[in-house]
Order: sequence, then C-alpha cells, then structure tokens
Amino acid sequence: MIISVNWLKKFTDIDLPVQELAELIGQRLVEIEEVIPLTDKYRDVRIVKVVSCSPVEDSDHLHLTKVDDGGVVEGVDRDENGYVQVVCGAPNVREGMFAAWLPPKTVVPETYGTAEPFTLGARQLRGHMSNGMLASAKELALYDDHAGIIEIDQPVEPGASFADVFELNDYLLDIENKSLTHRPDAFGVIGFAREVAGIQGKAFRTPEWLSHSAPVETVEQSSDAAPRVVIEDPILSDRFTGMVFEGASEAAQSPLWMQTYLARSGMRPINAIVDITNYLMLLTGQPMHAYDYDKLLEVSGGVNEVRVRAARPGENLKILDGRELELSPDDTVIAAGEVAVGLAGAMGGAATEIDANTRRIFLECATFNLFKLRAVQMRHGIFSEAITRLTKGVPAPLAQPVLLQAAALLAEYTGAHATSSIVEDYPGQSGESQVVTDVQRINDVLGTALSEDDVKRTLEAVEFTVEIVDGQVVVGVPYWRHDISIPEDVIEEIGRLRGFDSIDVTLPLRRIRAVEPSAFDQLRTKLRRQLVRAGANEVLTYSFVHGDLMQKAGQKREEAYRITNSISPDLQYYRQSLTPSLLAAIHPNVKAGYDEYAIFEFNKFHTKRHGLNEEEVPKELDSLALVVTRQKKQASAAFYSAKQYLQYLADSMGIELFYEPLEADSDYPVTQPFEPKRSARVWDRTKTVRIGVVGEYRRAVAKAFKLPDHTAGFEVSPRALHQLAEEASVAYRPMSRYPSVERDVCFQVSVETTYQQLADAMTVSLSNAPFEVSFAPLDIFQPSSGNKKNITMTFTMFSYDRTLTGEEVSAYMESVVKGVLNQVEGEVV
Amino acid sequence: MATYDIDAVREQLLERVARSESPREVLRAPELKELYGAIGSLDPAERGVFGKSVNELKLAIEAAIEAKEESAADAAVVPLDVTAPWDTTGGPIELLRTSQGSQHPLTVELERVVDIFTRMGFQAIESRQIDDDFHMFGSLNFPDDHPARDGYDTFRTEEGFIPPAHTSTMQHRILKDGRDKLEKGESIAAISYGRVFRNEDVDATHEHTFYQVEGVFVSETATLGDMLGTLRSFFEAYYGQQLKIKTQPAYFPFVEPGLEFAIEKPAALGGKPGEWLEMLGCGMIHPNVLEAAGIDAKKYRGFAWGGGVERLVMLKYGIEDLRHFESAKLKFLRKFA
Repeated sequence: MIISVNWLKKFTDIDLPVQELAELIGQRLVEIEEVIPLTDKYRDVRIVKVVSCSPVEDSDHLHLTKVDDGGVVEGVDRDENGYVQVVCGAPNVREGMFAAWLPPKTVVPETYGTAEPFTLGARQLRGHMSNGMLASAKELALYDDHAGIIEIDQPVEPGASFADVFELNDYLLDIENKSLTHRPDAFGVIGFAREVAGIQGKAFRTPEWLSHSAPVETVEQSSDAAPRVVIEDPILSDRFTGMVFEGASEAAQSPLWMQTYLARSGMRPINAIVDITNYLMLLTGQPMHAYDYDKLLEVSGGVNEVRVRAARPGENLKILDGRELELSPDDTVIAAGEVAVGLAGAMGGAATEIDANTRRIFLECATFNLFKLRAVQMRHGIFSEAITRLTKGVPAPLAQPVLLQAAALLAEYTGAHATSSIVEDYPGQSGESQVVTDVQRINDVLGTALSEDDVKRTLEAVEFTVEIVDGQVVVGVPYWRHDISIPEDVIEEIGRLRGFDSIDVTLPLRRIRAVEPSAFDQLRTKLRRQLVRAGANEVLTYSFVHGDLMQKAGQKREEAYRITNSISPDLQYYRQSLTPSLLAAIHPNVKAGYDEYAIFEFNKFHTKRHGLNEEEVPKELDSLALVVTRQKKQASAAFYSAKQYLQYLADSMGIELFYEPLEADSDYPVTQPFEPKRSARVWDRTKTVRIGVVGEYRRAVAKAFKLPDHTAGFEVSPRALHQLAEEASVAYRPMSRYPSVERDVCFQVSVETTYQQLADAMTVSLSNAPFEVSFAPLDIFQPSSGNKKNITMTFTMFSYDRTLTGEEVSAYMESVVKGVLNQVEGEVV
Repeated sequence: MATYDIDAVREQLLERVARSESPREVLRAPELKELYGAIGSLDPAERGVFGKSVNELKLAIEAAIEAKEESAADAAVVPLDVTAPWDTTGGPIELLRTSQGSQHPLTVELERVVDIFTRMGFQAIESRQIDDDFHMFGSLNFPDDHPARDGYDTFRTEEGFIPPAHTSTMQHRILKDGRDKLEKGESIAAISYGRVFRNEDVDATHEHTFYQVEGVFVSETATLGDMLGTLRSFFEAYYGQQLKIKTQPAYFPFVEPGLEFAIEKPAALGGKPGEWLEMLGCGMIHPNVLEAAGIDAKKYRGFAWGGGVERLVMLKYGIEDLRHFESAKLKFLRKFA
C-alpha cells in the first residue's frame, strides 16, 4: 500500500524529516518498506496557458503553439510577447487551455530515476523550433494515458509550479501491509493519519463529514425511487447501504487534483464516478460499487429490490473482467431481484456495468463477511484494492458517512444528484464497546511508570474516550477499532503509541534453578561428536518425501501420512524412516567425486503403523541413520563397515549390543530397504530392547539408488540407546599390580557356526574363572576348500593378588577350550 | 480364419515362466510368434484391438520374467554371519579419517543456542514435527478461519494433522506442564527448538523446511521490559558484545502486545552503527493462551518469542543459499569440518 505524506498532512501536522517519520512509523505502527521521493521529479514542470494554437503545415497532427509561462522559466527563447513556442502533437491541444509544460533541460518525469533519463531540449520539428513539450499523463508518470496532454482544470496563474499546485512535492510511503491485517482503519489515509498524529503526539483533524457523531438519517425502505435492500442472512453482511443518483455520466472526468492523488497512490483514474469511489476508499478504507440502475431494474424484471445472499449451486455470473464464474454456495452475491449481478465485495457483474448510456446509478456502500471474502479471493483469484480492504473487516458504521460524502462529491464533480435517501439493511448494528483496566496493570505488564495523565493523553490522541477514576481506566473504543476488546489490547496501544523502545530494559526476577539440556539431548550431542570424530558427515534432509522414493526403498505408501496440499510435487508423504533420504544422497555425492564417506542424520519419522499417542497426534520416532560407502575394494563385506560404526557408538556409551539375522523380521518401514540375508536386527545384550537394524541394502534398492557395491548402513533408535546408556554402569576396576598373560586359541568350527555362538560358549566357559579373563577376536579365516572356518581368539588373563604361572594358565585354558567344545562342535587347531 | 485364444496362451506361458530355470527364453515361444504373425493377417478393423492385447500379453510375460529373475537373484544372495566383527577373509575394520568428519552447521548453532538458554535457566524441549490444529492454532488464540492462519501456509495431511509452521506448537504443552511450578512460586522458563514447515516454493531465500527456536517465560511479575532484557542478554551472549536493540509493533494472535525485535548488527558480522538485523517476533503472552493452559491470566503473565536458526548461521558464515542446508552435499558440509 502506498501512502502519500502530503495526503497525511491534510489531517495532521508533520514536521519531521521524512526519513525520521518513516522510522518512527516503523517503530510504532508498521514497517515502511521504502520512501519514494517525488520532489525532484516535478521540480521543473510549469503550468502554462496556450495562448495560440495553429496546425503545422505538412503534418496531420502537429500544432504550433505559443505558451505563456508568466516568464518564469529562464534561458529559453521567447517571442516579442514573452511567449514560448512549443510544437505539440496532442489532439486535444487548443488555444486558451492550461497545460503542463516541460521546459528544455527538464528530465521527462516518466523517465526520471530510470536507467535512461530523457532530458528535453529545444529542437526543430517540421521546420519549427519546439521548446520542450506539453505533457501527457504518461509523460508526467501519473498514469498510462498518452491519448492527449493533460488539461489543468483549476484556476492558476500561468507559470505556476505544477508540483505546488497539485501537491506533488511529496513523498510516498510504501507500507508493508501484511502486519496491518487487523487494522481496517489504517487501510485508509485518514486512519493512517490518525495513527501518525498519535505516535507523534500531535493533534488529529477529523474531517467534518466523517465525524461518527453525525446524526443517522432515517432510512426509507419503501421509497419509490430506490430499491428495497435485503440481507438474507446476517452472517453475510453487517450492513448494506445504497443510494440512487440521476444525471450521472460515464464521460464526466474527475478533477485533476483527485486524479493526481489516485495516481500517486497507485490507482488509475477512469471516470468521475469510479474515481470518486476509489478516492473515498483510499481515504477511509470503505469500498463502494456503482451499478447502472436502469440495467439493474431490467435484469430483475422490474423487481425494485437488491438482495445479499449466498450463491445458489450451479449459479453463474459474468464479472467485469470478462470472466464467467461458476459460483460456489460459499460465495456471496448481490442479486437484483432473483438474478445475481455481482460477486459481493469482490467484483461487479457485466450485466449492470456503467456505460456511455448510463443515466442513473445505484451506489452500493457495504461490508461483507471477511472470512467468506478471503475464501473468495482464493477461489476466484480476485485481489483488488477493494477486496483487500474488505477482508480486513471494514466497520459497518463507516458506510453512511462515506456514502453521503460520495453523494456530495458526485454532485460537485459530475452533476449527478441523489434521487433517494439512503436505503439500507443493517443487521450488524452493535453498541459502543468499553474496556476497563487499571493504570497499575498497564505499568505491570509493560514495566513502565506511567501516570494517569500519560495514559489518558496517549489514548485520546487516537480518539479513544478515557475516564480514569482512582486508577481504574474506562476506555471507550471507537467503532473502527474492533481489534480492541480486552485490557491487553489497550496496554499494547499505550506501549506502541508511546514507543516500546522507550521502555526500560530489565531482566526477570526469579528463583534460581540450574538447568541443563535433557539427558537425551546430551547423548545426541555426544553421539554426533563421536560420529564426526569417526570421519562421518552429518546431514539434514527433508521430512517429506516423494512416493517414488519410498517405493525405491521398498516402503509402502499407504503406511505413510500423506500431505494433501503441497505446492511442491516432491513433498508427498511424511517419511517412514531416514534411510531412503540418505540413500538418495549417495549417488550425487559419488558423482561429485567423493569416493569414501559416511553420512548420518539425527531426525524423526512418522508412520501410520505406530499410531497415535495419548494426545491423539501421531507418535514421533527419533532416529539415527548412517550410510557408509567405499569405492575402493574392501576385505570385508560392506555390512561390517556399517556394523563397525554402530559398534563404535555402543562402545562409546558402554553398552553391549546383540545382533541377530534380520531374516524373519524384515517387514517394518525401517527395515524394508535392508537385505534380510545380509542385515542384522540389533538388540541390547539381554535382547529386551529393540535398537534397530544394520546391514546392506536389498539389490533392488541398491539398483534404484545407484549405490556403489560397498554400501551399507544402519538405522537405530537413539531413544533406545539413551535408555541403555542410562542403565549402563561405569565398569572401572582398579588396575592390577601383576602382569597379564595372553593366549591365542584358534577354534576350527563349521561355517554354519556363528561368531556369536562361539563367543557365547566362551562366556559360559569363563563364568567361574579363578582370576580375571577377557577375550577378543584376533582373526577369522576360511580356507578356500572345505566347510570349516578358523576363529582365533586372544584371551587376556591376570590376577589382583599374584602373578599367574604358565602352568595354571595352560591348565585353565585347557578347561576353557574343553568347555567351549562341549557347546560348539569343532576343534582347536 | 483361425481364432486365437490369447487368455489361454497367457496362462500357458506364465506357467512356463514359473517352471523355467531360464525364464527369459519363454519370450521366444512359438505361441507368441504366431500371435504376432497373425496381426498382419487380420482385418484392419480388428487389427488394432488384437494387436494391443498381444502386446499386453507380451508385457505381462516380461513382467513375470523379471519378477522371477529378481527373486532368483535375491535367493542367490549369500548370507553372512551378522554376529562376526568382520568378514571371514577380512580383518579389523578401520573407521574413516577424523579429518573428513563434519557436524551440520545448523545443529552446531542449535546446540549453541540451547546451551546459552539453558545457562540462562531455560529448559530446552525439542519441537514436534507433526501436530494437530489445536496445538498449532487453537490453543494459541487463532480462532477458526482467522486470517492470521493464512500467513502460515501450513501443510496438511489427509487426516488433518499439521506439520507445524512454528515451534509455538509446543507452547501450550510447556505452559500446561509448568503450571505446577507457578503454583510453587517458581517461574516457567523454557525454549522449544526444532524443525518447522511452510508450504512455499523453494529458492535461495525461501525454504519449506527450516529451524526455529521459541521461548516462553511466565511468572507473577514478568514485564515487557523483562522480555527485551532477556532477549538482549541472549544476543549479547551469542555475539559476545554489547548490543543495541529496537522493536517494531507486529501482530501475532498469541501475544498482546506483539513486537518484532531487532539488534544492531554486531561487529563480528561486519556491522556498522545504524544497521539493524531483524531477529525474531515476540510479545507478552495473550491471556487467552494462558487461560487455555489453565493458568490464571490475572495472577500470572509472561512473554514468548520465536525466531529462525538458519538466519543466524547464514549471517555467521555468509552462506548465500538456504537450499544448501538440506542438500546433503558433502561439498557444502565439509566446509564445516
């Protein structure tokens, strides 16, 4: 929204430099995106009288004119009378008119501030010297009309400054309207000026005609000359008013001063009727619409009635922009009798459009349900200045003064006169509202020390009424402030108008309580660091995925929460695990030249399979996924690369993990990408807490994601790890003063025997050891022939009270081996 | 003219695929050749329909062959001993070089923000990534159909769940959980942090997925001045220097008064006096929000704020494009090694 500073000045004094004004408005009302100066743009433009005008020979359109600039412009050739010769090609140039003259050396306003400013000179046109030019609205950068030069329609002395006469020595404020959605009043220059007055602490001048204490005129519903107005359902509109005018003409033009104010506010002048409604809308925020009254009667079949109603199913309406709309029952229409003639608040209908033959108009001034209008904007793509304002909730009491002022302006500038009094339906009438608070509360919330007088003056500046008795503040809320209904609203007004930045900055007083990040957060931070230390790269990927990605990973779409309204085609579903997103990142990074890396992500996933929690919202699962890929040939399968990372994390937390083949247990969204034969379900040591899955990916998955051969990963629950880490005890024991002894034993077992079986057997055999024993794998070897494999274990033994002898160690090892071989078929080699 | 029973041929061939060791050979079956041969001999009127069904037959058989080959290949996958530390022919596995590891710059910054706030006495709670209308809007004083809802451009799921568009989605929970503390004469002081979502087109400065930190403080004596002090104190700790602040009125349904909060651009970011950075939205918690959580708004009051994390990171490193964060590109991530 563009607001002219000169326009504001008609209602309040502004002495501040414009930048300071913009800053103040920014701090206390709304952000100003840009201050656009007009000042220099019109500096040299002069109003001149065309004292003579004759056609140029050999030209079908040029005229040779002499203009009178009162002799004010220097350095220009003049004739003996002091007039300046200008050649003009506009069809409307004529002797006696007043026009806007751009003297030589002037930059054409249309090109001012552009990359190629055009400076006029004195030059020959068809053999005649032309000094500068007479300007059109387009050349003056007012609006896009180049059909003729503009004609000055008010009495001025020749040579007057165009900028002075039309108040174009102006600054325009480009307002960020998004944060004014609750302030319909600020969508009018008058309301905005009231705020500017309030935040400057200056007087505000309400125009007489807008004074809300004006007496309400009697409404005549049955006047012959005016239609009966009916709002069928009060939900649709609080108030609908209208008046009939006769003697209206589409050809009448609004005064140039009005046109310049419309133009600088970004609206194109059309004709006097439209311009007057737009002018009042810019001033007050109240839109209006003019119908051809005779067409209205014709369409309705002579029923002299205007109705506000919901559109009927299947109803169609051709609107002014030429579109034929198929209406929804959620749309509100204006109907002449039974027939829809306009989309309420949004756009008029083509059937009742004003044209060259229009004599009588019906002028509507109404409010409509802002929520319904917001849906209309979206449904029909209408974002006019009018609907923008109506969706902020234009207050109903505004309709009458604005309509009466429109009548006055129409009479003055078009000669149209009202032939009816105001007709209306006003179901949304409401009494004046009050808010009661107290000065103490105001100061408590803001952290200020305002006096009763401070409070009173601040609020009264923007036309609240204030009565303060013993600290209690009774605030009368003006009708345009329906955003003010509770004490906090009033407190905000006071803080805002006085400037929040003037409040002393303090720190809250509170009882001290030590806090630290949750234990889970701390663990997550720790694991993150561990993985980074192990050369892995942390990634973040989107929570939403395309259905194809899930399919590539072997997951089922129907188990995923589907997003229904995404504007991006890639965001279709909540992901059901993190692994697919990581897999999707592997090939692009390989292609980018990274041949050996691990990526991991801590995040959350959601799947219908886990249902809802006690709050009736989907359960949220924390997850940690890692994928490691190596282009270089590795001695072990990729599985072990991934497992090594998981094992490393478990070791860092002091927890022991248990791995079992995934095979029977692979149909979870988390496990679906993993190849059952080459993956493990991960448990805690007691096999009571499920931790996740580690392994290689199914062939189809690897193919779909173009994974290098040596690629594997895991996806585990950090919550489960956290639970186990909390339970894990620090296993510190004092160091022994006696040396330890190591023995390697190579067990030859069947290839069917797992490492775990052997390790379990050893754990059992070691359970009653007479001294301290631990073991670790040294080597696993499978001779190329046969179905045996050799697993070599290193046993480390020591005692706290003596040096172990070779004999006792050998004897003990023998018993251990025997014990192991009792449980596992094999031999020691 | 002979008639052709395509369905019968389909059944025969599919069975052959099922039995065959090398199912791809079935594509060369004489039955299929015969059907293709017959197309040309047909009346042009029938040719289209017939040709189409023969093609469909061939596609069905190809699909069956592929499925069979896939399952054969899957069956051929060699199982491994998942309990072993390394492969039978391998040795101990080396992890990757420490020097190539990197933490994501966003999580680095989040950890730092959480760290400062916890040191200031604020508990840190991670925000949900899927929620309902009540927590996202209803409990935060957004009436149904309120225009302010539009500004959030929320995604929706089929069931009507909402990927939260702000971390304020945790505010009601924080307030409800903290009620007891208030009654014991303590205050509620918490931040919620995490991922939020807006239904937007993505470009260098717009993301549909980003991170926010929300803060809540409630006590019997909290003031707007306290809020400004708390926020300034955070940013002074964060940037390690004294900072000027300024505000601007703003409208958020869940606060009253509502403000936007800016700091003077810190020297560490090359700031000069008079340059401002808008950091977050804040305000005094709306009494409806407190009451919705069962907190007496006449007795207690509080303030809340919320701001983005990406912006902090982008300013810190001069990152030019928001899309890098969720790109999983090592080229980007390893700059933070």
